[in-house]
Amino acid sequence: MAVRESSRYLARAVPRAFVPSARQQAFLGRRNASDEAPSRRLSDQLDELETASSLTTPVPEAAAKAFDPVTRAKGRKTQLPRSRYQFRSPKYDRGPLHPHQPPPPSDPSSRLFVPGPFSLPRAQQTYNSTVASDILTLCYVHTPPGFKPPSKAPRLREWDDSSPYHKNRPLRGPRGGDVLRLLRKPIKFNNIPEIERITVHSYVKGAAQENSGWLHVAGMAVQAVSNVRVETFKSKASVATWSIAPGRDTVAVKAEMHGETMYHFLGKLIDVVLPRIKDWPGVKGSSGDSSGNITFGLEPEHVALFPEIEVNYDMYPPKMIPGCHITLHTTAKSDKDARLLLSAMGIPFYGKIVH
Amino acid sequence: MSTGSNGARRIASLMRPSRLDSVCRSCQETLGRRNYASAAAASETTTTSSPIPSTSSITDPVYTINAGVVLSRPPQITRDLEPFEKAFYFYQKRLNERLSLPFTKYFYFKRGTPADVDWKNKIKERRTPARDIGKYNAYDNDAWNDELLLGSKEAEPEHLVETLVQDAESTANATSQDTSKKEEIPRPFSRLTEADKKGDHKSLNRLLSRTLYLLVQSKEGYWKFPSLPIEGDETLHEAAQRTLSQTAGFNMNTWMVGFHPAGHHVYHNRKPHVDKATGAAVHGEKTFFMKTRIMAGQADLSGSVEELKDYKWLSKDEIPQYLLPQYYSNIKNMLADR
Repeated sequence: MAVRESSRYLARAVPRAFVPSARQQAFLGRRNASDEAPSRRLSDQLDELETASSLTTPVPEAAAKAFDPVTRAKGRKTQLPRSRYQFRSPKYDRGPLHPHQPPPPSDPSSRLFVPGPFSLPRAQQTYNSTVASDILTLCYVHTPPGFKPPSKAPRLREWDDSSPYHKNRPLRGPRGGDVLRLLRKPIKFNNIPEIERITVHSYVKGAAQENSGWLHVAGMAVQAVSNVRVETFKSKASVATWSIAPGRDTVAVKAEMHGETMYHFLGKLIDVVLPRIKDWPGVKGSSGDSSGNITFGLEPEHVALFPEIEVNYDMYPPKMIPGCHITLHTTAKSDKDARLLLSAMGIPFYGKIVH
Repeated sequence: MSTGSNGARRIASLMRPSRLDSVCRSCQETLGRRNYASAAAASETTTTSSPIPSTSSITDPVYTINAGVVLSRPPQITRDLEPFEKAFYFYQKRLNERLSLPFTKYFYFKRGTPADVDWKNKIKERRTPARDIGKYNAYDNDAWNDELLLGSKEAEPEHLVETLVQDAESTANATSQDTSKKEEIPRPFSRLTEADKKGDHKSLNRLLSRTLYLLVQSKEGYWKFPSLPIEGDETLHEAAQRTLSQTAGFNMNTWMVGFHPAGHHVYHNRKPHVDKATGAAVHGEKTFFMKTRIMAGQADLSGSVEELKDYKWLSKDEIPQYLLPQYYSNIKNMLADR
């Protein structure tokens, strides 16, 4: 014991710099013996790199003032050839061997280029700075050294071979229903639940009963609220009382948001719309598909509270403003984790919480 | 081991010679509480092996166990953007203007209304429906000139806010019935508060875009997170709550995040000094920090047990100049970057 103690103190006392490293510091994973030769040593090559970034180096003031692209372009006597100022990406893919290749989609001259992002949403910053680390602390499960988790039964059951017909049969599903639930792994730094996408869906029965105006207004409203183009859907089910036949009537619009758009929508929802709903108890505690996606509905008068609709409310026929279902898809594997995330982001839940 | 009562099992687990000396008592209970099959296997091995008298508890160095509290106030506002981010977002906005379809004016402004007249005046001056991309028309001959020149202010957030407010003011003045009085649109509050300007480190209203942590100064003059020794058999969570109320007072609304410590710090005494109450030689102290959020209130050291001298709310950047290097290197990974 005493020997162990002293060696520990000794190791702490010796500065780290004197301890020889087991591995040479290098950027490449593979090393050859010739790399250590003085002519090829990595440190010599690193000296050639510039230490300062181009953003920090000052630009000479005279050069910055003299630069005026508009007057320079206007002062030109003859127009430049087209190839000097306009690049057109090929319209068709002619294969990898063709000399005219399209630029990558991140290039603004690409036909597939989509601009964005335009901002750093507040809800996203809240998640990154506060919510994620709190969830990590909350979900920590301590396993003492030497702990082995008890072995679980296989998720798919085998046949007991009591009958010769059991041979080569596919495995059975779990007991009490054949739904195979998602596997919930312990939450670590690399799988903290986060919001993946948000879907706004609106079923407009007036579109089938009366005219298509209902669908147009619903589409405009959902588009205004969500900032993405909507998709339309035909009905799958037959509703005789509303005279809706499957596959005939277009009855629903849906918008799916990701990334920046999604966080802006979430911020508006949590801080502007939901607090202004009168006598709203919150999202029902039993909502969820038991794999981490929570859905709730908004009435037409609640959808009208979105700032984008409120700002020109007169342009929407008031009766035609649709209600909608909002689904928050999270990367959580269970509803419990998803509710933890969403309530941390500011969505209230009420009633019996079903996990 | 048969399915006995929980208490009997706990006693049995305490009686059993510990296999792992480095595991704490509650963890040993966890290990003993495994499923029945493995517990039975474990009991078999313990009966067959000769009982080893546990002597390690005598020779193990004794440490004082402290419950520490990392009390933090999360960021209240968004962070300042880097110059590159500002430039990037602005350029993306202009690219978006070039690539998107023209604004559908008829949907937003009914013909002949005051809003429509106001719109016509403004679009002449601004040249684009977007209010945050400066003077730029994506459909005229100069649309290629979409990059900002060096030193231009259009991408600055302050400039954006100012143009938006002025735009709203002119709309309010143009469309209001009463022409005698000028409409005033309130500007957003400053991102710098009074406490920032005065350098008041005791205020919770400073550095709104950063996480603030509560640091207290002991009577010897060392800065640290609030911490007190655990008393009796209270849990870490209870001890942390007691620490908070006994050092920083009751005038706070706080929430303790979870039941597990977020980090720990070990301090070794130069020489073990003898504890008067128990007679054991104490080799140092181990502090386990519970993460806590403050919702409302303010720290108050008047009733502190340790006779603390001072407190400060500090961000992660300011903390290292107050703490000892060894202490800081142990706690720095608990603190959020922002």
